[in-house]
This record gives sequence, structure tokens and C-alpha cells, in this order.
Amino acid sequence: MTEQVAVLSTWQSEFKLRHPSMTYVEQAQEAAAGCMAKLGMRPDDIDAIVYSLAPTAFMGVADADRWAIDHIFGAGKPMLRVHTGGATGGSVVQAAHSLVRSGMYRTVMIVGAERISETPDAQKVLNQIFDPFYEKDMPLQTITAVALMANTYMRRHGITQEDVARLVVRQRRNALLNPHAHLKGNITVDEVMASPMIAYPFKLFDVCPRSSGGAAMIVGNMDAARQWQTRPAFITGVGAVSDSNWIGDRIVPSAEYDFIDWKLMRVAGRAAFERAGITDPIHQIQVAEVYDAFSIQGLTQLEQLGFCASGTGFLLEGEGAWEMDGGQVAVCPSGGTLCTNPIAVAGLVRAIEAANQVMGTAGDHQVKNVRRSLATAVGGIAQFLTCSVFSNEPYEAH
Amino acid sequence: MNCYVLGLALYPAIKRAAGHRLEEMVYHTSHAALDHAGIHRRELDHVTLGACDELDGRSISSMLMAMPAGAYMVDEIKVTDSAASALCLEVARLKSEEFDIGLVASWCKSSKTDVESVMRLRGEPFYTRPFGLDMGMSEAMLAQAVAEEFGVSAEQANERVIKAYARASANPRGLSQAVPTLAEVAASPYEATPLRAMHRAPLSDGAVCMVVASERWLARHPQHRPLARIAGVGWAADSYRLDRARLRDFNSARKAWAQALRMSGLPDASSIDVMELETPTVYHEAAYEQVLGLDASTQISPSGGAFAQNPLFCTGLVGAAEAVLQVAGQAGAVQVPGARRAAAHSCHGYAQQGNVFMIFEQVGGAHD
Repeated sequence: MTEQVAVLSTWQSEFKLRHPSMTYVEQAQEAAAGCMAKLGMRPDDIDAIVYSLAPTAFMGVADADRWAIDHIFGAGKPMLRVHTGGATGGSVVQAAHSLVRSGMYRTVMIVGAERISETPDAQKVLNQIFDPFYEKDMPLQTITAVALMANTYMRRHGITQEDVARLVVRQRRNALLNPHAHLKGNITVDEVMASPMIAYPFKLFDVCPRSSGGAAMIVGNMDAARQWQTRPAFITGVGAVSDSNWIGDRIVPSAEYDFIDWKLMRVAGRAAFERAGITDPIHQIQVAEVYDAFSIQGLTQLEQLGFCASGTGFLLEGEGAWEMDGGQVAVCPSGGTLCTNPIAVAGLVRAIEAANQVMGTAGDHQVKNVRRSLATAVGGIAQFLTCSVFSNEPYEAH
Repeated sequence: MNCYVLGLALYPAIKRAAGHRLEEMVYHTSHAALDHAGIHRRELDHVTLGACDELDGRSISSMLMAMPAGAYMVDEIKVTDSAASALCLEVARLKSEEFDIGLVASWCKSSKTDVESVMRLRGEPFYTRPFGLDMGMSEAMLAQAVAEEFGVSAEQANERVIKAYARASANPRGLSQAVPTLAEVAASPYEATPLRAMHRAPLSDGAVCMVVASERWLARHPQHRPLARIAGVGWAADSYRLDRARLRDFNSARKAWAQALRMSGLPDASSIDVMELETPTVYHEAAYEQVLGLDASTQISPSGGAFAQNPLFCTGLVGAAEAVLQVAGQAGAVQVPGARRAAAHSCHGYAQQGNVFMIFEQVGGAHD
């Protein structure tokens, strides 16, 4: 007998480059305490903890999660740290989902913090993710690697840099309504095009910032939901998939899934949708918080999740299909990872935003009449993908 | 939903696996576990990894390791506390009924890692790191506390070393190290008071993989016979502060053990035939015996535990594999006759900040 899994509470900090007035563990504590305080919960009301922490090399403390245990009221509790790179925040939600759905725990708190600006150059750390014999010596890091993907995608589908820039304009504008967002503003396509070139075709405004901050989510079973939350969001579907690390193997004709078009996201999406009973995503899902560390990434995922055909996402952007008001689906009403990227909790923030939309607590960027939402997360070079579906009512696939 | 171990494999115990890259070690071990289970990789519907970036020397270790471990085009997740923690999450994944058959994989090539540098990097930067706390120092602090709290003398510690190596020397899956004499142990150099070098389990390279299936999968595949039922798991973390209470109370061990017993439906340790403990030092062993309430009815670490092989981080899951082999009657020279229920333990973090317990039962018991 399995349990329904409900989101009971969420909390996120204001994200910005640095939080010099706080230590890392104080940021984690702020998130944990804030999330519990929203419901009047006390530490004893939390049965287990899943800790969200991606590479520790950014901050240079290898045991940052264990350092934080006292601060997040975790001493004596079952705690796991999950790390799947950029997908970590999506994976922690799915780990907590398993802990509750299995019946092992009534309530689980997901918590983490990021302090990426402690490192002078995050891309030098990210160069270390590549194979030490064949790849590390090349100037590969996340920006250059994704730029190579973007070039091919745009050429294949006839997408211009201006097409992509329109997405940046929309999401920066959305972020104006989000008090937690790091980058925000009313900018123009011309300003995006005029921002400094980082790695062709990515200009500065096509790339996420390095964000610092904390986030937490408390999930529980139906019994806990009845006790703590009058309007929970239910996690009705989860899916994840991992690919090969070797980019060369992923772009040859014999590759199982087209790397450039992000076809692998179909696998994660299919698993999540089957469990959540989603058969027609564009009509059943009102908000998509897709993980887009770069301007090119979000809509490519949306295409593979069945919201539109491959290569059409950016054309529909120009028609307003992804606007908060009047669009077909509100894509990243929070501004997305493109505006806020605290890597350790970036996927968790996507899930928080998606759950908040269903719970009606998103604030000024609340989309009207949201019954279902989804959140994705991406780790490695599009190697680890997660997709989670949130709903205003429980669903049990048969 | 009951969970079962269907197959397992250990990389041959070795101090320094110079002949294989880390990826190759894990590939061969994963492949062997799948063969042992009698299934193909493509039958897996998920993989759960336990790995440590810092020990692997990579920022996202699983980018290179997931596929050799078998996580290709399949749902995969990684935990970083310990390999045994990965098995705990694996149990939750199966019990969620969203998965049916998975593989748990973990590894460590400690020979290519400056382990103490990694351990010093663990320290928070304000108080712990400036005085250079490392694994040896934190274990010595624990040993001092254990010696006082549980009345363990230096002579008793020395004798435990002899017994641990004696058990390990019989284990065909161990390093086959010579059993030292009491004089050799007593003369081994102090590393940090009261720990002498030979009180500590020597590090080795290794990898371990387990194929785990739900009872639903087994019902659909009656031709497969599992090795053991996973009766219960429990894990807990303790305070980061290495103060007097933290070092003496073994709070997370007690809570994790209670959780595993509760999930197994057992009142206490009396019905556990075998307990495979992860003991970085012999002082750990002395403490855990008392903390867990183990008596002569339970055989402690017949495999030799960490003194048989100690691939840091995945040692606890190696112990779990040994426990599974015990209840399956396949432990070979270290088989405990009539072992029906075996437990395994893992500890992680400075001075066992985190503890994990797993309890395995012989297939054909009351639950099958």
C-alpha cells in the first residue's frame, strides 16, 4: 500500500550574488526554519531530511551537508544527501517522494543552500566534471559545451539569435514580479543582442547568473496533509533518466536519442506523465517551470515534453504562447533558472515554484487557475534529467 | 512491498587496483552482479548510486561513473553519504512501487586519493579546519571517548586487532593479509593518541554492486530465486560538533539501529545471527558491540569486516554483501552455520557522525 505525496510547505530566500551577512549553514538554517515556521511546524514534526547539495568544490567544504545538520535541526534524524549535478534539486524532490510514498516516513524536509560565489571562477570547477584523459584539457565547461549544442539546434531549425533573445526578454520581465529572483528587468531584444559575447551564440544575457541562497520544501503523506495544509500540491508523477557522459557518442547517427533536440527529455517526461495521468500536456498543464540555465534550454525541453513540435518552441515564443497572461502555457513565470541559478537548489526552486502555482501561493507571479504544473531539472551536460508533475488533487495511476 | 537481493558482486579485494581505471572497476563489478542475478542491464528500471566526488577527485563523479555502473537510459539517482545509504534509498524506491528492479552501485579507489587531504577539506572553515582535523584525529578522539565510556584498554584493543585479522584472513573475498602478532600491534607507531597504526583498518580499493528486486517483480519472474530479503533499514545523522556527548553517546547509531529493528519487526538484537560492522578502528567495534546490545549469540564481522577490505565509503555495502551471502549460505570459508538473519552496518563522517543499518533475512522465512 503506497501513500499519496503532498507538498505541505515551501520556502526560498532572496537570491543574489552573495549573502555576506550569513554563513552557509545559516543560509540552510534560514530555509529550514522558514519552511517549518510557515505551518507552525517544529523540528519534531519532521521525520526525515533530504539534503540538496551539488558539487562542494564551489564552496570548498566537502562536508557542507554534515556541517549543516545541527543548523537544520537534523541531529538524530535520518538524512540523505543527494547530488546529481544541476539536476540535484529535481532528484531531491524525487528521493523525498520515494521516502513518503513508500510509507517509510510521514513527513520529509528537503533543504539546501548554495554559495557558488565563494569560488572565483565556477567554470574552472565545472571543467573538472569532464573526463581527465580526453576532455579536461580542452576549454570545455558548461557554457562552451551548451553553446555547441545551441549552435547545432539553431542551425537545424532555422532559429535566430533574436528568436532566442525574445525568451530572455520575457523571462527577465516575469522575474520582475518574483521577489526571490536574482536577475530581472524590462530589457529589449536589442539589449540582449548587444550584451557581451560569452561563447557563440551565447551573449551575457543568454546565460544564468551565479546565485547564492537557500530553499526548502516539506512533503508529507495524506495524513500529514490533512493536519498541516488546507491546499497542498500533490506530487503525482516523477520521472528521471541518465545518459552517457560521452558527448561524441550522443551526436552520432547511432545514438539512441537525439542529443541536440533533447529527445531524452521525452523519457523522463513519459515516466512522469504516465504516473500523473497526463496525456495531453498543453491542455492539462498550466505552468511549466523548466530548468534553463541557458536561454536555449527551456523550450527545447518543452518541445520534447509534448507541448509543441521539435524546433517550434522559439517560433511560438514570438507568438506569445508562453506568456503568463494569455499564453497557452505559462513558462517560467518565476523567471526560471535563467534569472536565478543557485546550482545546489536550482532544481528545487523550480519544484517550489511549480508547487506554489498549484497551491496558489506564488505571489505576484501567480498564474490564474493552475490545476497542474511541472518542474524539470538538468545535470551534467544534459546527461541527468528529471521531470516532476504537481497537481491540485491526488492521482493514482492504474 | 517486500524487497529482495537478487544478485551481487564485489571487485576482488586489492590494495591498489592498478590494472583498471575506476570506470572499469565499476563496469566489471556491475556486470558481474547482473550475471549473478541472471538478468540483463536493459531489464533494470532504475539505478541508485553511492559515491563521493571528493574521493573520486571529480566535481560530479557520476557523470563518468553512472554509465559504467549500468545507469544508461534509465532512472538514476546518487547519494553521497555512504554506499549503504544508497541501499536505504533503494529500498524506499522499491517500496514506493514505482520501480521493480534496480541496481545499487558504489566504489572507491582510495589508492589514488590523498584521503587525509579530502578529510581536512571536510572541515568547516571557521573552527575545525584551522586546527587540521582529519580522519585519523577524529577517530582518535572517538577512541579516547570509547576507551573511557566503555572501559576499553589498550591491551584489549590490541587483542581485537589480532582477532579481526584472523577472521579476515579466512575470508576468500578479503585482502588475505597476514595476522600480526600482539607484539607487532603494540609496537606499531602511534598515529594519534590512543590510536596505533594497526588499530586502524587499512584502506583498499574496491567496488560493490547489488541487484535488488520487488516482490512484484519476483512474482512475475518465478524462475529467479533471490539471495535474501531486505527486512529492514535504518539510518540517522548526528551532530557535527565533536563534543563529549557526541563522541560517547552514539546517538545516531542507536536511532538507526532502532529504526532498522522496527522495520524488521524485531524487538532487539537477540535474533540477529551475524552482524557485519564497519569498524574504521577496533575501538569502534568495541563500542558498537555494547551500543547495539550484541552478545555471544551474534557472530560479529565473520568476514573480517574493514580488516578484510576497506574501500572507504563503500565498506558498509561490502559488509552488506557479506551479510547477504551469510543468509544465502554462500559465504564460503567464513560461513556461519545456520545463519538465518544477518545485519550490516556502515558509518560515515567525522567520528561516525552518520550510521546506517541493514537487516537481511534468509529467503523462505515468514514473509515469503
